[in-house]
Amino acid sequence: MNYRFARAPNGVQGNAFRRSLAILLFAALCGFVGCMKAVKGPSPIPMRSAAMQGAEPNFGRDVATESASRRSLTGLLPGSLPSADEELWVITRSISDNGQRAPEDTPGSGALMTRLPSEEKEVPLPLKHTDVKASINGYIGAVEVTQQFHNPYDSKIEALYVFPLPHNAAVNEFVMKIGERRIRGIIRERQEAERIYQQAKSQGHVASLLTEERPNIFTQSVANIEPGKQIDVKIKYFHTLAYADGWYEFVFPMVVGPRFNPPGPASGRSLDDRFHPSAKGGGVGAVARGQHGISGQKTEVQYLRPGERSGHDVSLTVDVNASVAIEELVCRTHNVSREAVSPERLVVALNSADRIPNKDFVLRYRVAGERIKSSLLTYRDERGGYFTLMLYPPREMTELGRQALELVFVLDCSGSMSGRPLAQAKAAVERALHRLQPLDTFQLIRFSNDASALGPRPLLATPENVRVGLAYLRSLNSEGGTMMIEGIKAALDFPHDPQRLRFVCFLTDGYIGSEAEILGEVYKRLGPSRVFSFGVGSSVNRYLLDHLAKLGSGAVAYLGLEDDGANVMDDFFERISHPAMTDLRIEWGGLHVTEMFPSRLPDLFVGRPVILTGRFEGGGKTNIRVLGNAADRPVEVRIQAELEGAAASHNGLPSVWARMKIADLADRATYEPNADLPANIRQLALEYGLMSSFTAFVAVDSTRRTEGSGGTTVPVAVPVPEGVKYHTTIQEEK
Amino acid sequence: MKSLAAGLVLCLFAVLSRPLPAQPTDQSVRFRAVDIFIDSHETPLAAYQLEFSVTSGNAKVVGVEGGEPPAFKEAPFYDPKAIQQQRVIIAAFNTAAVEKLPTGKTRVATIHLQVAGDGTPQCILKLTTAASTNGARISTQATVEERKTK
Repeated sequence: MNYRFARAPNGVQGNAFRRSLAILLFAALCGFVGCMKAVKGPSPIPMRSAAMQGAEPNFGRDVATESASRRSLTGLLPGSLPSADEELWVITRSISDNGQRAPEDTPGSGALMTRLPSEEKEVPLPLKHTDVKASINGYIGAVEVTQQFHNPYDSKIEALYVFPLPHNAAVNEFVMKIGERRIRGIIRERQEAERIYQQAKSQGHVASLLTEERPNIFTQSVANIEPGKQIDVKIKYFHTLAYADGWYEFVFPMVVGPRFNPPGPASGRSLDDRFHPSAKGGGVGAVARGQHGISGQKTEVQYLRPGERSGHDVSLTVDVNASVAIEELVCRTHNVSREAVSPERLVVALNSADRIPNKDFVLRYRVAGERIKSSLLTYRDERGGYFTLMLYPPREMTELGRQALELVFVLDCSGSMSGRPLAQAKAAVERALHRLQPLDTFQLIRFSNDASALGPRPLLATPENVRVGLAYLRSLNSEGGTMMIEGIKAALDFPHDPQRLRFVCFLTDGYIGSEAEILGEVYKRLGPSRVFSFGVGSSVNRYLLDHLAKLGSGAVAYLGLEDDGANVMDDFFERISHPAMTDLRIEWGGLHVTEMFPSRLPDLFVGRPVILTGRFEGGGKTNIRVLGNAADRPVEVRIQAELEGAAASHNGLPSVWARMKIADLADRATYEPNADLPANIRQLALEYGLMSSFTAFVAVDSTRRTEGSGGTTVPVAVPVPEGVKYHTTIQEEK
Repeated sequence: MKSLAAGLVLCLFAVLSRPLPAQPTDQSVRFRAVDIFIDSHETPLAAYQLEFSVTSGNAKVVGVEGGEPPAFKEAPFYDPKAIQQQRVIIAAFNTAAVEKLPTGKTRVATIHLQVAGDGTPQCILKLTTAASTNGARISTQATVEERKTK
């Protein structure tokens, strides 16, 4: 819900007001004088503070499990803080020069280790439950995520949780709940927020901090959770739904997949890292529970071992209001119940038996109507007008045939693809090889630690060559790291065949911590190729896959473990069997449109609309024309829009627009050295109250100090995604 | 009186009894809470909008908390642009029945602040509007009080 903020008057006129002011001022000053008296000057550093630091507990791997539900975090000194009216001097842990946390405070540190006497042991962890409430109107989703942290131990803790959100999520709300009290977090420049959090933590205040490590990976930190207490954190975001081949798709990711971080000084840097480098790697480490720091990465996800389970579960409801009748709704990833409120509205809920957060929740639905039309959604507030335009390709494109293709399939054969993911990828490519036409050529490339190909150059799609290709495909195994750069070089660096359109298809889970380098390489080497990406698995890196396709002027598709690989590839061939609508330009009629994103208009493929967002001035009825070419023929889309009265509107549009602008600026930063980009992103995110690489939410309860020091840091270990093998993906020192 | 009697309060925060270094250090940083009260007298309070600003001194807003009565329990929304200048523009309303709305002096919000350095933070509170259930402006008084940290 957005409020309209009227400008406060520049002072209030009149004698009555002045009299009130004088009275109130007097009363306020009297009140504060009382408070001021309570504050004394600083006293020398108390010895107990020094003792606190010296008594830092050592949570090595040999601390035994306790059978009781309340676990011991020995070594803390309860009651070591001075009373509230004393000036407090606290010996804090060291903060590095750039404001980063000291190593022992980084995610993954101080893990409470529990030795498990038998398998299927539930590991007590500070994240108890995640509740997700999504509401979809048209193609805009508003999602509330409430994370319930608790302290099952007998001394104070800090909880750290690295978790995923959709990469296009415009996170604009953050509320910390302590009992019945609710404190709304403040958006701040990231390093400032981190400093505030550290200071609050060291002084014993309950505080929470949300930072963005990647557009789809976030870290939640909650400090000073007392034994037996619960702190909830509610996050809210808006995002646009994907639409493909007649289906809307709502996705809620539940676990961060284990990333591989290629060696090298530049590898794995997030946008923030490149402007605020730290001594650690900027990738996303994947380590066994309790083995903090062994990945050498600044962000680290700890994973439960096989047979371990945390008490963390998920509840989820999605209220779908499609405005037109919903004809079909499918959830292949989870067991759900559904309640039809009306033909246009369905409420879907996750069944209680399917609440382990180890895979993406994917809900697809199809609405009535032979063909969806392009549509404009608008919103106005005191800042001006915002719009999103869902632009569908014109019908006549399906009547045009395609020219010969040069299809390059690039398979990720790294360890994380072992088992079902690779089998799914192979099934999809096998289908593709059978669908090639005689004048097409094809190439198969595999990569893990290195890259290799079926042959030195693409083969004509003769029956004999297809058989050779199938044999090669079936021989592929998965092991080793994800040196995706090698796959990109192998796929994009060989000479282009001018007689054919080159389509490069990446089939991967995207479990790599160096997304920015990957995208930068694709941008540099793309040439005349188009890139289509296929995300294979239960919890893939959608940020990387979506952006590969976006940069490569292609499209993305997802192949879940429960999906039919042949169907997914058939949809792809349907898409590429017709020419794309290229060279798009838009005539806005009576509207004056500015700051439209993506700033580079994408091509339109059959079955794949694109969403544009921007600012506008003007109103009333307007006719919009989208002009372009398909197979060297001019094509056109006409949209009649009504911007007044009953015009379709959504109050999340300003956030959606700002998030897309931030994404556009961040994309530019992957291939354009521009020192102004971080400042531009930061300013926009602060103005719209949004998370970004350069901003963070922080909330502090200043009314009370908890007893003891900052508490022991306990990372929330998570399960490996369904279908991913622990032993081929997770770093563990024996 | 139907018209608004907007309140404006200047306040001084707690100061330390000895000078602290000009450059804030972790030792000079402390966290303080300021409660905001609106007294609507006999009229049930259904809505308000106010602006709380730190006008001088080194204080940053680090949280905005909801009020005491159930009608204003939710943490109020703030203007993100203004808060970067330590101006908290908040508004809240409740459409509940009259008997569920507060009357008299009510804590409607709490501002959490981080205070640093030797400056004496000063703040100003402007009550932009307050309204009853039928949307009419009501006569109110707004006050701020620093809460003691427990």
